[in-house]
Amino acid sequence: MKNCVMKKVCCVLALLVFLPSMTQARIKLVALPERARVVVALNNQNATLLEEERVLTLQKGMNQVDFSWRGVNIDPSTIQLRLMTHPDQIGFKSITTSYPPNENALVWEFPSPTATEERVRISYILSGLSREVVYKAVAEPDEKSLTLRNYLRLRNNSGEDLTDAELNLGYGQGFKKNIANEEVLEMLSERVEAMPIKKTLTWDAATQPWKPEYEKKTVGLPLYYVLTNSAASKLGTHTLQPGKARIFIKTKEITDTPDAETGDGVTFTGEDWATLTPVDREMKLFIGQSRDVKVTQLKVKDDRTRIIRNRSNADVIWDTDEIYKVEVENFKKQAVNLTLVEHVPGSWKMIENSHPSQYTRKDAFSFEYNLQLPAESNGTNKTVVTFNLNRLNVQNNDPSSY
Amino acid sequence: MRKPALCAWAAAFGRGWLLSSLAAVGTFVPVAQARINVTTLPGRDTVQLTVYNSADLTMVKETRTLVLRKGLNHLEFSWANTLIDPTSVEFRALTHADDVDVLDVSFPPRVTDTLEWRINSEYSGEVKVEIRYFTSGISWVADYVAEASKDEKAMSLAGSVRVNNNSGEDYENAQVRLVVGVVRLVEQIRQLAQAGHASPSAAPATLQTINSWQFAAEGKFSAALDQADRNGRQIVKEEMSEYFLYTVEGRDTILNGWSKRLPSFKTPNVPVTSYYKFEKERWGDSVMRYYRFTNSLPSKLGNEPLPDGAVKAFRVVNDDKLYQYVGATQVKYIPVNETVELELGNDPEVLIKPTLMNWQKTDIKYDQNDNVSGWTIKQTWQFEVQNSKEIDVVLDIRRNFSGDWDLDTKADREKVDANSVKFIVPLKPHEKKTISYDLTSRFGVNVTR
Repeated sequence: MKNCVMKKVCCVLALLVFLPSMTQARIKLVALPERARVVVALNNQNATLLEEERVLTLQKGMNQVDFSWRGVNIDPSTIQLRLMTHPDQIGFKSITTSYPPNENALVWEFPSPTATEERVRISYILSGLSREVVYKAVAEPDEKSLTLRNYLRLRNNSGEDLTDAELNLGYGQGFKKNIANEEVLEMLSERVEAMPIKKTLTWDAATQPWKPEYEKKTVGLPLYYVLTNSAASKLGTHTLQPGKARIFIKTKEITDTPDAETGDGVTFTGEDWATLTPVDREMKLFIGQSRDVKVTQLKVKDDRTRIIRNRSNADVIWDTDEIYKVEVENFKKQAVNLTLVEHVPGSWKMIENSHPSQYTRKDAFSFEYNLQLPAESNGTNKTVVTFNLNRLNVQNNDPSSY
Repeated sequence: MRKPALCAWAAAFGRGWLLSSLAAVGTFVPVAQARINVTTLPGRDTVQLTVYNSADLTMVKETRTLVLRKGLNHLEFSWANTLIDPTSVEFRALTHADDVDVLDVSFPPRVTDTLEWRINSEYSGEVKVEIRYFTSGISWVADYVAEASKDEKAMSLAGSVRVNNNSGEDYENAQVRLVVGVVRLVEQIRQLAQAGHASPSAAPATLQTINSWQFAAEGKFSAALDQADRNGRQIVKEEMSEYFLYTVEGRDTILNGWSKRLPSFKTPNVPVTSYYKFEKERWGDSVMRYYRFTNSLPSKLGNEPLPDGAVKAFRVVNDDKLYQYVGATQVKYIPVNETVELELGNDPEVLIKPTLMNWQKTDIKYDQNDNVSGWTIKQTWQFEVQNSKEIDVVLDIRRNFSGDWDLDTKADREKVDANSVKFIVPLKPHEKKTISYDLTSRFGVNVTR
């Protein structure tokens, strides 16, 4: 059969004596061994490695294996041939590779000391086969725990149908799947029940209005679910990959029939892009806003002290004495965690603060208060945080970030 | 068996060709006329390619056996659709050298890609000759496959060379020699080839007819069959001056338009360090991954320098030798005993998080006008580092400063130069650490150095 039989990826074993010339039409006399195994390595975010095995029937003497492809995007510089059955008899140095002009093809040439069957493994980087991680979580009504499901979504736009492909993610157990070209396949890869979470709101002095009553709309505070990738959270075995996280919360479904029992349902509460989270680190998911917590910040003292003036009587350097008052009201019937984030440029020191045990210096130019607001702590029961700080040697050109 | 209708074949296939003809003096017709020659067509006995990688330059050396008549012989050497530098073509007799003299060489007018030698021979009969010329269009590059063990403490390093032939000419059964080194060319071979013999520095002439296409059909695979025992052939390395010459054992056919990848070496168990670098000014917040190894005898390499080329790195993940793809990079020329680092891209599994924990402006000085003339900044930096991998890693955290600065730290550090230091931090699998340092920088009149 003198046909150039081309599968999308085709591997051709041609005996030398049958091959008239490489420069002619490259007619291939063909025994087309089917793939005996396909393994896809998805550990590298930037490139997908495909390894396939085929069993070739080698003749004694020089053998040629013609590998060609079309409709798939293979990086030819990454194609490797490894002989698995007789690696010691047919070594690396025996294998030469020829690349014909203007073809998606190559020809391996190597001698075999005997006529034999040889399992070969061909590896290459294949474009169009990508993966993404998707998180779906259902929070309990008290928002203290959730059920986390971690899905792997494979998109096969490689041009190849992959049958019984072994998929390895670089962590956990590999698994076998069929994925047709242009198919998107989503698989559950991890499920964690009753995973503890922390719900917290954040008020950031750099981005939120200090006087919400001046705003025409109710100011919402960013709402975060904080997950920790740790054994205590029933995770902690591997880095959590980036991906979209959709959060739902359990609700009671009310039926139209008065006699029927209410059932469990879920309501979508928001989504965020999860960032890469190594073991023992936190994943913060910004899923929405709370408008039941109100924060008002006032600068109640802003004095300049120790002012140095030059001969022209211009101020060149000074210190400040600043007092801030933060009033926090929680209108919810539940206690709420709130993080206040404050920013101070330049050189400064804290003189006094009302909540030292909740105070954390985050870096040179910011600090936080991590507060737990009691339920319905508003009006006269509101939480009031005050702090007094001095900025030192101010010149109005002091850094606020690094 | 080669057919004499070479020119027709060459034209039909759009392929470059070399023609040489031997014309007995008695039948010679001046070249300006019809240029009809009585021809014998000796084939190439041997051909050797010496391919340079620093310039578009290949030296071709071929031997042929001619039958000379006693007296004056005309030898015509023609080429078309090739990239041969006409000024480089040289001829010499290898046998009966004392009896064979090149009287002169002519580049005939109105004829392109042709030269003629007038040769006086005192000998009648077979003479083995060498023809040597430069061509462009043949190049070679090295490439490497690094196959790291699961713990990434050792790797198998396999080197290959890929020869690309776009010279317009097929080279069959050629001995391939590759030169590593930088040679100087004052004119590009390709330009000289395209200038033809009008180029001011034109030179000698030779003879021979080759039907490349025909060679491919008849010669290539029989030659390959002859080489069926070349399992494990070597690339022989030889140092010469500032260059390294790699001679590939055996013979290879490299047809025009084709590339051929030839195995060079494969060395198992080369010690390697998984080395991670952080340098904000170069890579932002990314942590870059490297395989670090030395081209030395203790590292089972070091017999010769390694030419620059592309590296693909894989990691063997199980007993079945399945791969993970680690990354790809270009490696520079590696002299013997040099330690090199293969940059394999960002690895998010190693975390390095710097935090400026404190910033203070102190020690203010004033000039006679009471303006600020000097000050000192004190910074406290903290680095959280975390290895999420299953293997030992080494971190190289590079920090760059300027001006008059001092560093105080309990962490191990190494001064790189006047304005940079590095912290070398080995980490076990899943280990976390925090390192910190205090930096004092002086400005204005506070500067002491």
